[in-house]
Amino acid sequence: MAKADAQAGRSSDRQRLISGENVRRILQTQGILIAFILFLVAFSLSSDRFASFDNVSTVFRQVSIIGTIALGVTIVVIGGNLDLSVGSLLSFTTVLVVDLHDKIGPTGAILVMFAAALAVGAVNGLLVGFARLNSLIVTLGMLSAIQGVTLIYTGGQNVDIVDQEGTWFTFFGRDFLLGIAVPTWIFLVLAVALHIVLTRTTFGRRVFAVGGNPTASAFSGVRRARVVFSTYLISAAATGCAALILGSRVMGSQNNVGQGYELLVLAGVILGGTSLLGGSGSIPKTVIGVLILGFIQNGLLLMGYPYYAQWLVTWVVIILAVWLDVASKRGRLFTTTS
Amino acid sequence: MKRTLLASVAASVLLAGPALAETITVGITQNNVGVDSYQTTYEKAFIEAAEADPGVEAVVLDAGGDVARQIGQMQDLIQKEVDVIVIWPTNGQAVVPIVRQAHQKGIPVVVTNSQIADAGQEFIAAFSGPNNIIQGQYSAQMMCDALDGKGQIVQIAGQPGYTTAIERQKGFEDELAKACPDVTILETQPGDWNREKSQRVMENFLTKYDTIDGVYSGDDNMGVGALNAAKAANRADGVIFIGATNFAVGYEAMGRGEYYGSVYQSPVEDAKNALATAKAVVAGEDVPKLNYFDTPKITQDNMKDFDKPVF
Repeated sequence: MAKADAQAGRSSDRQRLISGENVRRILQTQGILIAFILFLVAFSLSSDRFASFDNVSTVFRQVSIIGTIALGVTIVVIGGNLDLSVGSLLSFTTVLVVDLHDKIGPTGAILVMFAAALAVGAVNGLLVGFARLNSLIVTLGMLSAIQGVTLIYTGGQNVDIVDQEGTWFTFFGRDFLLGIAVPTWIFLVLAVALHIVLTRTTFGRRVFAVGGNPTASAFSGVRRARVVFSTYLISAAATGCAALILGSRVMGSQNNVGQGYELLVLAGVILGGTSLLGGSGSIPKTVIGVLILGFIQNGLLLMGYPYYAQWLVTWVVIILAVWLDVASKRGRLFTTTS
Repeated sequence: MKRTLLASVAASVLLAGPALAETITVGITQNNVGVDSYQTTYEKAFIEAAEADPGVEAVVLDAGGDVARQIGQMQDLIQKEVDVIVIWPTNGQAVVPIVRQAHQKGIPVVVTNSQIADAGQEFIAAFSGPNNIIQGQYSAQMMCDALDGKGQIVQIAGQPGYTTAIERQKGFEDELAKACPDVTILETQPGDWNREKSQRVMENFLTKYDTIDGVYSGDDNMGVGALNAAKAANRADGVIFIGATNFAVGYEAMGRGEYYGSVYQSPVEDAKNALATAKAVVAGEDVPKLNYFDTPKITQDNMKDFDKPVF
């Protein structure tokens, strides 16, 4: 992960390898990991059930939906854009795969669902990449548009899979492999795959380049539009994977099931330290960011705090994480310039 | 955010019945049609009931969950000088001023399904809808029966701030304390009317508590989420699941013997009751302020007497 950060153009830090600086450097690059460990310790001390294998695996499974989406969104954000359409795309793809399951069978349903997701990603990618429109506006509009399509598609009805026992579709949300839930596998395997894509391939380097310095990358022959287009395809595909988990876990869907997920996803990405300005960030840190959100909710609930405490604490944690991130980079808590 | 843009365009159907001299014009502005099956079915039933009635001409509007749009629709209906306005409030507090305006213009207002704030009560002709307090009480009574008056339960409530959620929770808790004080509520968390969220909440409850005898959910959609979680943890056997607003999935789970009971609330009855109340108001009948329609208990024992819910 440090490598990814270094690529973000902070190589000047390398010149200051004095021991005191080293500590600061670790805090600076791994601050989120340290915060995560502190959280786990604090929660473990206050609830004896928190650190149990059952609970930890429950939290991993619970964050897998938001986490899987966040992996794709991380790549979009590193490329210098936003994707707010993922929440309603999750609603749409979940409704689609669940509804088609009983009509054309699970295999066909999954194929059609991914095709639809990629089509949405392609439209986002065309508008942001090739037409160079503002990604906030494009994907916010897409959020409404897909919600509308979902409502028209379902006519407001919930969709359900009727025969819940006799289908292998339960695999994605309810089964276990080697004692670990399949949703967790999907989340972590996709994380590893996208991490490799981002750090070990030409495409990955280009994503950092167009997000960090579009002008320079253009002069070096990187075709921004194509790269951006691809990041939206990845985001849409990741959302499709999340829809598989969600649909299979619930074996049904409401047409607003993903409402608000775009902000939870973004919270996880930001918490992981991916810059909203583009050009820096990493997949493993997004995984940790999402896990922090999941463990906060779970930990506070186990400790018996009411739900509004979760909202408040989540907000405080995000602000603190972002603040510490910014402060460690500039070396002071408050800026002196006004 | 404008996520309901298309929905409201699609749902803003203008219906004109036969314009006989003695027909009355009923204007309705709904909360958010298309966002859930209940509201969709309600709208369909309302339109059908109005079409079937030669004495009624209906102007059917939908606010798409947007308070500002609902206020605009109220102004349009006032301008149009309809005989009565039926409103399904998007927000019980924010619509009070416009309800007062209609009242001052001499147009009676019937509030449907969800109440408006106390400050607006003096400006409305009547309320028509389910009695959520009673529904909560019914669920508590079923829970007492099923557990023989003793046990530990958890509660998954609806979205915080929603009148329906608050009233059901209050009715349930008060009645439970009265009818069977030995049934204790271990903890209450919101499930936000969302099945997946409720599944997550229940997973956490199962981690936290070794013994859970019963689960009360603010609607069946959430109740089935809780059931899913308990089944996945192999802890569903012997647990009493009780919901409210019987959904098709809850009805089916009841049929499989996995779900104990719920409260049967028909959107069709809700719509018919609203139209009947509006007509009675225009006809100058002596209409009571609160017009509840019946929402009976439904359990595995008597479910054959009910049609499977359409939502």
